[in-house]
Amino acid sequence: MPMNPSDKAISRRKLLKQLGAASLAALGTNGGRAWGNSEQGMHPTAKADSCIVIWLAGGMASPETFDPKRYLPFKKGLEVNKILSTFPSIDTSVDNIKISQGLENIAKVMDRGTLIRSAVQPDLGHILHSRHQYHWHTGYVPPLTVAAPHIGAWMAKVLGPKNPIVPPFINIGQRLEGVGEKEELKAFTTGGFFGTQFGPMNLPFPQDAVRSVQPPKGMEPGRFSNRYKHYQKLIDKNPNRDWMSDYQQESMIRSMDSAHLLLQSKEKHAFDLTREPKESRDLYGESRFGKGCLLARRLVEEGARFIEVTTEYVPFVHWDTHENGHTTVKRLKKEIDQPIAQLILDLEKRGLLDRTLVVIASEFSRDMMIEGTTGSNAKDQSRAKTDKLQEMKHYGLHRHFTAGSSVAMFGGGVKRGHIHGKTADERPLVAIENPVSVEDLHATIFTAMGINPKTAYEIEKRPFFATKDGHGKAVMDIF
Amino acid sequence: MTIIQRILTALFTIGLAASSLHAVDFAHDVMPVLKEHCAKCHTGKKKKGGLAMNTRAELLAGGENGDVVIPGKASKSLMIELIESLDDLEYMPPKGDRVPPKDLAILKKWINEGLPWDASITLGKSAWEPPLKPRTVTLPPATNGRTHPIDRILDASLAKRKQTTPSRSSDAAFLRRATLDSVGLLPTPEALQSYLIDKAPNKQSRYIDSLLANDIAYADHWLSTWNDLLRNDYTGTGFITGGRNQITNWLYKSLQENKPYDVFVRELIAPPNKDSAGFINGIKWRGDVNASQTREIQFSQNISQVFLGINMKCASCHDSFIDRWKLAEAYNLAAIYSEKPLELNRCDKPTGVMATPKWIFPELGDIDPKAPKNERLKQLAALMTHPENGRFTRTIVNRIWERLMGRGIVHPVDAMDSKPWNEDLLDYLAVRFADDGYDLRKFIRFVMTSQAYQSRSVILKKEPGEDYVYHGPIAKRMTAEQFLDTIWQVTATNPKNPTAKVNRILKPQSALKEAQKREKPKIVIKKALYGVKGNASKQINLTQKIQQQVDRGNFTFNASYKFAGKDPARGVHKTLEIEYLLNGKLIKSSLKEGTQFNFVSVHPKGKGPSAAVRAALVKNDFLMRSLGRPNRDQVVTSRPNELTTLQAIDLANGDTLANYLQSGAKHLISQKKSSQDLSTWLYRYTLSRSPTAAELSILTAIAGKDQNPISVEDLLWLVFMQPEFQIIR
Repeated sequence: MPMNPSDKAISRRKLLKQLGAASLAALGTNGGRAWGNSEQGMHPTAKADSCIVIWLAGGMASPETFDPKRYLPFKKGLEVNKILSTFPSIDTSVDNIKISQGLENIAKVMDRGTLIRSAVQPDLGHILHSRHQYHWHTGYVPPLTVAAPHIGAWMAKVLGPKNPIVPPFINIGQRLEGVGEKEELKAFTTGGFFGTQFGPMNLPFPQDAVRSVQPPKGMEPGRFSNRYKHYQKLIDKNPNRDWMSDYQQESMIRSMDSAHLLLQSKEKHAFDLTREPKESRDLYGESRFGKGCLLARRLVEEGARFIEVTTEYVPFVHWDTHENGHTTVKRLKKEIDQPIAQLILDLEKRGLLDRTLVVIASEFSRDMMIEGTTGSNAKDQSRAKTDKLQEMKHYGLHRHFTAGSSVAMFGGGVKRGHIHGKTADERPLVAIENPVSVEDLHATIFTAMGINPKTAYEIEKRPFFATKDGHGKAVMDIF
Repeated sequence: MTIIQRILTALFTIGLAASSLHAVDFAHDVMPVLKEHCAKCHTGKKKKGGLAMNTRAELLAGGENGDVVIPGKASKSLMIELIESLDDLEYMPPKGDRVPPKDLAILKKWINEGLPWDASITLGKSAWEPPLKPRTVTLPPATNGRTHPIDRILDASLAKRKQTTPSRSSDAAFLRRATLDSVGLLPTPEALQSYLIDKAPNKQSRYIDSLLANDIAYADHWLSTWNDLLRNDYTGTGFITGGRNQITNWLYKSLQENKPYDVFVRELIAPPNKDSAGFINGIKWRGDVNASQTREIQFSQNISQVFLGINMKCASCHDSFIDRWKLAEAYNLAAIYSEKPLELNRCDKPTGVMATPKWIFPELGDIDPKAPKNERLKQLAALMTHPENGRFTRTIVNRIWERLMGRGIVHPVDAMDSKPWNEDLLDYLAVRFADDGYDLRKFIRFVMTSQAYQSRSVILKKEPGEDYVYHGPIAKRMTAEQFLDTIWQVTATNPKNPTAKVNRILKPQSALKEAQKREKPKIVIKKALYGVKGNASKQINLTQKIQQQVDRGNFTFNASYKFAGKDPARGVHKTLEIEYLLNGKLIKSSLKEGTQFNFVSVHPKGKGPSAAVRAALVKNDFLMRSLGRPNRDQVVTSRPNELTTLQAIDLANGDTLANYLQSGAKHLISQKKSSQDLSTWLYRYTLSRSPTAAELSILTAIAGKDQNPISVEDLLWLVFMQPEFQIIR
């Protein structure tokens, strides 16, 4: 049951009670106790009941995407410190918003969303993707003394599934095995202390997603359902069925039931991309990411609560451009532009955009010169170091930048055609207006979903808050 | 101030004037007011808003929002402000009637007079204070011939509550539970058969002895518990950069040898060599970390949690709101480990105050702050395992009790500050454990030989809470490792190679040692290149470096290295290509980044076969993670007790399990049993009972007359999915 923080008539005590009920409804027995929320902001009525995070893992350079700056084309001998962007800017469907060339399709739907151009991340010394990704996904900077839940796990825990048959937290496009830093990825791709029931259903390959909801490879559906029928019969005929009927056994039987409910449901077809008409499938393209966006849309239609779709984090690959940035980003924009725009349009066409918050984000931005932020002692990690451009591989934003990045949001009650925050026009391209921390960004996302940023659960007798220590403040301007 | 408030205030002032001639009487005037309006949420164990008011000191200590009362200044006291508040969100008390003007006037007067409080009076029973020292318990007399000390204590408390003693479990149920609890495996159908026909009166204890005598199986099973507790793993955060070290070999050997627990802990706290140093060194993270997560603070938190059941996590950031531990205590403990002077940080901000190396229970002695680090650690190890440190023994016996009986005597097991449901039992067990030489296996045996352990498990309709009352053992869910181990056991599908290269040769140890002496493996590194495979310009030659490590006798490598200088090989496909001569034979190997690599320690001819590989010895995989084997970035002391829907989906259609079942099916078909015999054998193996006629007809229907890989795979799935299989009763 979503609680509604905007309803000022609800007193703290009532809120507390509701929260208790919500958490009880959403969990079994080993979760924490919900703590009260003693503060109420001026929250809008929550409009979103589903959330899609589009995760451009590796550090999406905002000057090359949503926040174009002074562009200088490649020229041998050009001084690197003069370059801010390596792409020219283009117009969008909103008069005062310009974004980067290569995002023409997203430009057309800019009037459906809000651009935050002032997201900032903390300086953690040495820049590590894994720590910033952990921070972005859980709201807490690792290391921690308890395992923090992923933002999707928070939604699963507080709001529960939207459709009881569809897992509430689905993670699309990220392999957790066979990639570098896999252990670090696993550390935040989890329900954390909420327990595995709030953890993600992982679908690393969208085209194979249907495998997760159909019988094991090579098993006929008839055999699968027959097997389950016999399972149920055995449970019924078990001579100890009654005296062993404790909570452990009953919850085990219930979970087996819900699993088979999904595996034999109509909702499972949402996982099957071959069921999408060819013409609309084509609109999302052949890339894994494009298919991920299509899968996300299909799952939201069937009632998924939270979905993350990623271009995938692999060290030094995709958006993690340590050299040859311009060429790489050109390709990456091609990969994301059409599917993202299509996702927005499809959601809108189906009347789901207002109820679905789409967030496009990355762990930090990039810069041609600065590693971390101005004055940081972070070690320069560029692999194409030069003062003057010599070859194409030097041309691009090869340093991790934490002091100003962009987050795009669509639907879910956010303003249309709106800009929040601003970065400087000259290096350092730091956020100079309305900086938005990870905590505040999370508070904003939670607020849009009807979750109070101060929501907390007890772990080891301490409250653990949805936003760090309950301090996240929603950016109310964008609603 | 609203108009109403003004009027009210005026009224109180008048009222006060009338009564202020007399000094306030705490016991007769104030106590009733506090009791009526405040006690429900702020006394006993209750500490709403961080505020307890059992005693004057507690009230003065305030709550989450700081001071609640300022003696002498009622008008400045938050307590009064909140009682008077008209704000629906903050007024006190939140439920029930508002505090009437007369009572409020008393409170104001009391505060204005400096908060007099008769020290002999406490408003509520103060939170229970855990004893430190061991306590000898006089055993109640045995009843009904139940002479085991555990039964004498438990039976007495059951009798006091007018409850009957739990009934005995069946032989089969005992056999299955005891085997799973002590070695993590199922009793074979043969073991079941011979146990059932055994008429010896002491067959239970004889069987327990035989289980616990199996060094390898015991170590295989308890390794998971200790890996969780000591945060030991084979892969994970920190290994890539050498910021973390395994203690696997030391740990496994200690379990095999049944190292006394006090020695075990001393070796962890003050490591005699690097083999056991991984625990106190924790994980070194790259980049800047929060002050409460440095290696020193990890040390403070982990030794407190693991060995004493103390939560030092709150106190490593600020004075704890929930218990007695202070920031300074957390840091002073950390300072024992610290190489350098350690500055206290409150909520990640330096305070300018320096920590002094100091132990947390000065009653037992203290650390010499001037002694060098190694010496300090030795002193700490001695204090931790001090014979008078009852907290240390209570914590471990409670952990083991929980593993065997399904719920701690103090629960959760990390909250050793809370009151046990039976103090006599906990105290008795702690003393007994120490008297028995801190012998873990002996203690496990002690619990398992009680009638209490051998009782039928209780059926609980919901997970017990704080109102828990003992009435017999509680069923447990199999851990991920137990689930896989038993499936592998029944289907003979154990993996071939363990990740943890520990000694599990089934030969007698003495013979092996003798043989090893004769033929110590000689390893000569011929070539070791690290970097992008096949790209000579992006490779580093590590031949000499690795040879040095080999010569030092360290045969275990992590295939990734941290480079002091520039690393030319930063790339996606880093591998270590290695060629070496092992006893004259050239071996080539290619290792991906992050994998562990051991030179195969070739055992001499005539060695015995190794025991089948167990789940605890292989790295975490998709299925085990799904079933709750944790990521060991943090200390883990309990596993999830319930099967979730996502887990059930993985069991219903996951490839990992399906693969085991497929190869298991092949293996079982090759045994050429009839479907009836196979089904019966499976039930006897997995559930320690025969199927009923009704069950047998369902099982044989699935298995079919002519067994084929598919029908037997389905049969296996049906058996392993039974809650009766996955629950240990």
